Amino acid sequence: MAKDEIQRTYRLIGTRPDRPDGLDKVTGRARYGADVSAPGMLHGAVLRSPHAHARILRIDASKALALPGVKAVVTRADFPTGLTGEDWNLQENTIAGEVALYDGHAVAAVAATSRLIAQDALRLIAVDYEILPHVTDVDAAMRPDAPAIRPGAADHSVPEGLHPNVVKYIDFGHGDLEAGFAAADLVREQSYTTEATHQGYIEPHACLGQLGADGKGEMWVCTQGHWYIRRMAAAVLGIEAAQLRVTPSEIGGGFGGKTTIFIEPLALALSRKAGGRPVKMVMSRAEVFRATGPTASAAMKVRIGMKKDGTLTAGQAEFRMQGGAFPGAPVSSALYCAFASYAIPAVAHVGYDVLTNRPKCAAYRAPGSPMAAFAVESLIDEMCRELGLDPLEVRLKNAVREGTKSSYGPTYGPIGLVQSLQAAQAHPNLSVPLGPNQGRGVAAGFWFNHGGETSVSLAIGEDGTVTVSVGTPDIGGSRASIALMTAETLGIAYENVRVNVVETGALGVNEPTHGSRATFASGKAAVIAARHAIAEMCRRAAAAWGIDPEAVDWQDGAAVPAGPNAGKFPPMPIAEIAARMGSTGGPISGHHEVTAGGVGASFGVHVVDVEVDPETGRTTVLRYLVVQDAGRAIHPAYVEGQYQGGAAQGIGWALNEEYIHDAEGRLLNPVFLDYRVPVASDLPMIDTVIVEVPNPGHPYGVRGVGETGITPPLPALANAIAAATGARLRSLPMSPPKVLAAIRAQRGG
Amino acid sequence: MNISFLLNGETTHVTVTDPTRTVLDWLREDRRLTGTKEGCNEGDCGACTVMITDEGGSRALNACLLFLPQIHGKALRTVEGIAAPDGQLHPLQQAMIDEHASQCGFCTPGFVVSLAAAHLNGRHDHDDILAGNLCRCTGYAPIIRAARAAQSAPAPDWLLKDRPHAPAFGFAEISSGVRGQTAPAVLPETTDDLARAYLDTPDATLVAGATDLGLWVTKDLRDLGPLIFTNRCKDLCQITEKKGEITIGAGVTIAALRAAMEGPHPAFASLLRRFASEQIRQAATIGGNIANGSPIGDGPPALIALGARLTLRRGADRRQMPLEDFFLDYRKQDRRPGEFVESVTIPATAPGLACYKLSKRFDQDISAVCGAINLTVERDRITAARIAFGGMAGTPKRARALEAALTGALWSEAAITAALPALADDFTPMDDLRASADYRMAGARAMLHRYWLERSGATVSVLEVRA
Repeated sequence: MAKDEIQRTYRLIGTRPDRPDGLDKVTGRARYGADVSAPGMLHGAVLRSPHAHARILRIDASKALALPGVKAVVTRADFPTGLTGEDWNLQENTIAGEVALYDGHAVAAVAATSRLIAQDALRLIAVDYEILPHVTDVDAAMRPDAPAIRPGAADHSVPEGLHPNVVKYIDFGHGDLEAGFAAADLVREQSYTTEATHQGYIEPHACLGQLGADGKGEMWVCTQGHWYIRRMAAAVLGIEAAQLRVTPSEIGGGFGGKTTIFIEPLALALSRKAGGRPVKMVMSRAEVFRATGPTASAAMKVRIGMKKDGTLTAGQAEFRMQGGAFPGAPVSSALYCAFASYAIPAVAHVGYDVLTNRPKCAAYRAPGSPMAAFAVESLIDEMCRELGLDPLEVRLKNAVREGTKSSYGPTYGPIGLVQSLQAAQAHPNLSVPLGPNQGRGVAAGFWFNHGGETSVSLAIGEDGTVTVSVGTPDIGGSRASIALMTAETLGIAYENVRVNVVETGALGVNEPTHGSRATFASGKAAVIAARHAIAEMCRRAAAAWGIDPEAVDWQDGAAVPAGPNAGKFPPMPIAEIAARMGSTGGPISGHHEVTAGGVGASFGVHVVDVEVDPETGRTTVLRYLVVQDAGRAIHPAYVEGQYQGGAAQGIGWALNEEYIHDAEGRLLNPVFLDYRVPVASDLPMIDTVIVEVPNPGHPYGVRGVGETGITPPLPALANAIAAATGARLRSLPMSPPKVLAAIRAQRGG
Repeated sequence: MNISFLLNGETTHVTVTDPTRTVLDWLREDRRLTGTKEGCNEGDCGACTVMITDEGGSRALNACLLFLPQIHGKALRTVEGIAAPDGQLHPLQQAMIDEHASQCGFCTPGFVVSLAAAHLNGRHDHDDILAGNLCRCTGYAPIIRAARAAQSAPAPDWLLKDRPHAPAFGFAEISSGVRGQTAPAVLPETTDDLARAYLDTPDATLVAGATDLGLWVTKDLRDLGPLIFTNRCKDLCQITEKKGEITIGAGVTIAALRAAMEGPHPAFASLLRRFASEQIRQAATIGGNIANGSPIGDGPPALIALGARLTLRRGADRRQMPLEDFFLDYRKQDRRPGEFVESVTIPATAPGLACYKLSKRFDQDISAVCGAINLTVERDRITAARIAFGGMAGTPKRARALEAALTGALWSEAAITAALPALADDFTPMDDLRASADYRMAGARAMLHRYWLERSGATVSVLEVRA
């Protein structure tokens, strides 16, 4: 039978076969959210608030409804009342009630026989607004004179005396902080800010939904998690989840931003009102920027104590974050991550979740961790410079390892931070000499990783090939990695396994592809499902041979007698068992349902070299190294892909990406041209090193790799720019004008 | 309007009812060829990249900024037509699979088409080729590895069939459409026809590359009224040189202009390298860039510094003016009804020209400041100065006070520094989301400093640093 211990050598794991969807993607055959149409289909469009904060006095859609081709208009009046908690937040964000809470907030939606008619109809809907005072900055939103966006939204955690925009407060720590700072030779405190950024997936949100008067509906949608879509849309619409069948399309990027609902309930509501005709909705790029879920923005104060030899003695963090007009800024996870890389005797954390007139933030790759790292890893670097210490050595000296109690509570199992720091030190990039105006920056990063609700089913086909049904949409190659693990377990060829991402009716509930969990959790469940199938195949062989099932082993894709005492039988391959399964007891399958535990924490170390133009402030990234612990790299090419992709997004966040609002609270740059995700010439060929400290919580040692990579770039680039120019930037993005201003300030004007 | 073109190698006839229907919408909605993706619908992401081939060769264009009439008589290839009809992959597609160059794969079709066009043209400057293709997943490294892996493979014969000498390409009849045409859109074949049509219908909108105009339709949902497409006027796309002057037809694309400027004005050519992205440069025309009148267009400052003369045409009448005089005020040009930009004329040599672009990033960005400096130095003295900036005022504008301060001055760092305060007399730049007024002014001053360093043979590189 299959063994539980982590093997040292594998037949398939660690190889780099073509991904199963490779051909579809290079030929344009892969079908994404907007690529499917249905007979009788209508096109939906959304009217959005042009104001950051405004009371909706009246909506008159009569002229729109009179336009030939318009089949339905919905407003909040078409949705059920009485929702509470997060369901109410979701409904309110889907379509405004009494008040439009941000620029871009949906106010009404139209379905018509063509996209152009739907867009024309929007212009015929009259809305009377009473403009209200607004606030978009987190610190401004906490001041006494700030408009209260939603009085009463605060939960019980918030102490008295704070502004009603503060909706959540968190406070935790351990150790004797005063003693810690007293033991330090150097104590420094600094403040840092980060602006909101967007996940920037290239595929806009798109769906095709149908809902009848009987409450039965279907939806085709690009999403990271179709059960989430089902649950949330059903709650917002007041229908039963089981009656809504949601099929995921191929997904054109998500990075956390496609784990919730936006247009999906609107499409269904329009369909219901248009007699059940299917309605297709596709967001424009401006809608994606204005009205989906960017990150929180953060204002952070950090205080650290350090001894002359670099030993950290105490750390204190106060983070204030806004996540839009709803609770949910990732302030807790940011604080948990803040000091998670270091063994510090005393730490204290305080956090505030604050409402502003901005869109409801969604997850973005390691939510909260990049901001936290920017503050903490920048300050550690500043202190290393002041004390003349090597920043990698200081991180090694303080690095957490197996058995360390983390800053946020749990004690770490086997982790790879020390190994990653050592691998970074040994990398050739570290010995490249630097020229004038060039600098090198390093930083570490952390993410918890996640397991979560997972359901996987596996079926043996008539010819011995295998189908695996998973519920985690494949964003970065997880079908390939799950196929590799399944084939490894079954002892068959990679090509003999097909992994399908299936609809909500086909499996138990699955959480989305989030938290770096797809390869870990769906992979783990697939391996266990394969073991169940193996056990059944061993029973079939035992029955055929007339021996005890316990006397049958599974080797190289075949049932074999467990030893000489079991009898002398030739191996019975999977194809032979499969061919006869109809007459030996019926179809053979395996399945596994679990809230997956055994998650392995993830650490990474980045090293970047930059050159800064002292006259324009523009930063060129010369070379970039990502070192990260993968536990076990199932398909190393896709592990490297996650490392490079995380670094690329982090570089964009660090240098140029930001939400810019005008004085009226409107987003000024809802276009790629002025948002500036990195293009090819903005990035070097990003170097990667995969460290493997196997995670005992996964049959093959996997730990999630998707998110950590976006965390270190923010401080690594700030540290490199400081090294190149002497100027320290404590506010993101480090765009050329800001860098130039910092250089001038540092030179004394 | 009836148009004909080759779609993935097959002759296709389309009756166009809406001449502002984009090729992207037509492909996805009418032909259900959904491999071509919509990522932004405004020419920034490249997910809709298609390949167009005509007498001028093959190039990558954004289908979201192409109106159907613009592809009349050309060959259109989408990602579905990059592999052979029997399914055999283009070597680049195979390399993309081998190098694991897709993660989510949504941008992949656009990359495949951009790289296939570049491959056909033997281009290997991948950062430049791909500046108009966004990928948010990979950091580009595996895509560039795939492009390198495929670069030495021969071009597949099924793509070569799109070349205009191939028999399938010559359509029996191309309806030019000016005379007797009642449709709201016409496709004149000559500049004379264009001039006549525009005089007859002065409220028509002229469509050249449609890289800006396309957004009026797709973003602003404007009805453009009658349309006149200029792209079939071959005589509007000529670059001619005589008597020490180069005349550039208004229909010359930025890509063609860049190639033509490599010899006579390499500084201008290297500036045009940073004009938007490959797909935009292949569509946008210099005439459109001028006529549009944007204060941040990257064409006019260099042309003004070169002393360009603009030729405007109205019916059979022509008039000329210094280019700087064309720009009256913000988005207001000296152009009469029925009059259009026909050509721009510049000197064939200008050894003193240098061009600088200041933006938040190297590629695909709008200039915070675009500066062009053209000084004549004789016997250590500046004898003539033409300096123009974009992004510093409501129009592209000459720095006349600075020119005056420099003219006659010694060619020295001290003299240039002493003249710089005159910039404040020329310009009062504004704050906006791209840069502050201070940053713009500092950038403009730095350009003069760089000019000094560059021309006096400084050993440091004064151009943007490159990895």
